[in-house]
Amino acid sequence: MERTEILNIMNMIMTKKGRAEITDESQNTREVNFRSLDFSETALRIEFKIGTELSFEAASMRKIETVKDVLDFFEEATKAA
Amino acid sequence: MTDLCDLNIVHFGDASVDFAGLREETAAVLDAQDLSTERCVFVVDSVREALGCVAYGISNDLDFGVIERARLSPEVEGRFIEHAVQLRNAHDGTVVGCVVAAVEIKRGRVTVLTSGTTGLLKLIAHTAATLNTFDRVKSLPENTWFMPYQIGSYAWYQMVALGLFKEGQGLIPGDFSDLAASFEDAVTRGVVTAISSTPTFWRHALMSIDEDILTRAQLRSISMGGEIVDQGILDRLAALHPKARIRHIYASSEAGAAIVVSDGKAGFGADVLERTDGVIGVKMEEGRLYIRSPYANRVDAEGWVDTQDLVEQRGDRIYFLGRAGNTMINVGGQKAFPQDIEAHLMTHEDVLWARVVARKAPLMGALPVASIVLRKQMDEMAAELMLTAHCEAGLAEFAIPRMWDFLSEIPMKTSLKS
Repeated sequence: MERTEILNIMNMIMTKKGRAEITDESQNTREVNFRSLDFSETALRIEFKIGTELSFEAASMRKIETVKDVLDFFEEATKAA
Repeated sequence: MTDLCDLNIVHFGDASVDFAGLREETAAVLDAQDLSTERCVFVVDSVREALGCVAYGISNDLDFGVIERARLSPEVEGRFIEHAVQLRNAHDGTVVGCVVAAVEIKRGRVTVLTSGTTGLLKLIAHTAATLNTFDRVKSLPENTWFMPYQIGSYAWYQMVALGLFKEGQGLIPGDFSDLAASFEDAVTRGVVTAISSTPTFWRHALMSIDEDILTRAQLRSISMGGEIVDQGILDRLAALHPKARIRHIYASSEAGAAIVVSDGKAGFGADVLERTDGVIGVKMEEGRLYIRSPYANRVDAEGWVDTQDLVEQRGDRIYFLGRAGNTMINVGGQKAFPQDIEAHLMTHEDVLWARVVARKAPLMGALPVASIVLRKQMDEMAAELMLTAHCEAGLAEFAIPRMWDFLSEIPMKTSLKS
């Protein structure tokens, strides 16, 4: 899946939760208030969109700190799905 | 007086003490009380106190249990009063809350606490004999077990029983406020050689601890239970710890430990259903699992426990599907109850019908997702925003549905139920 599509899903969740949209990939997920629940929802919405379960290593989630890391993670996970 | 393995060691960080020492610590503060005429539960402030109380209670055949002080609430105290259980401070034996009138006591009864799938505290009666499910194991290699379970739970008592009754079995209680960190600490110290835990614990550990540290652990034995053990986690642990004996154990607070699987595969072999060794029986009826076991605390007229677990046979393997009537959604360790969420949704004037179920999700384990029938058609995104805001006003954040399916009509079965 394209990064812009993933970012759109993240921003849809941010808007729904009344938070500011993410504009800078280098921002820390904590700074922009993108939480674990939001991460899980993003995964579900991506799965729904691509019609299959995401495939990834649990350990790779440990390295996620920035918005870029989230986008990289889902970009890779959708390639493997 | 029941004999214990007094020399088995319990490690608390840098300190370690044997069971005899723990029992003596407790005896020093409780011997002044006559506890032989009541059913009591000791309120503890630490796992050290809890272990001392269990060693002391079992040694003296008391009718007892333990609970962490943090779990007490008016509702919980009410449950103990209903069962005529006297709460007592473990540190000095004084009464906690009100004095409860003594009724019939059973010497040697151990009160195990479980919140089950409903979240309501249940008191399950066991004895040292029913908790000691290792009594059939003739020889057990020496091990020091990391023990991540909540004080007073069935799994916790099973591990304590292992330390109390099997020689050469040391324990390392996990710090419940940060289990992954305390496991990492135990691994780094090089003291842990075995662990009993759940798949969820391992998923947290794999996300929280560097793989290099995990592979350095000299684990000889890995046991898992308490929830469905999937093939992914079995394969992952086998890759990390190729020399460890990896087992998953089917056990429940009511049926006891019944099925041990060590072939590295999820589910269990269908041949278990044919087992006639006379000790533990397993049968499947209408997709439910039944156990007959000497470790069970409650059975039907023919000696079977309905485990309420749903199972399915695929080829020569039996797989777990979940709990019958299970309504709890585990969102990253928090319990969300679909009926509560549905009830809240249906307080909205535009909602005609709501159904909330769990959907498997990375990181959190599961998220609540909702199916909704609205009274009148509207834009789905607008409806989602409207209902999310409605939930934010009345539900915890983890209980708010994250995905929404708007149906045109209420689904109905032939039973006229949805």
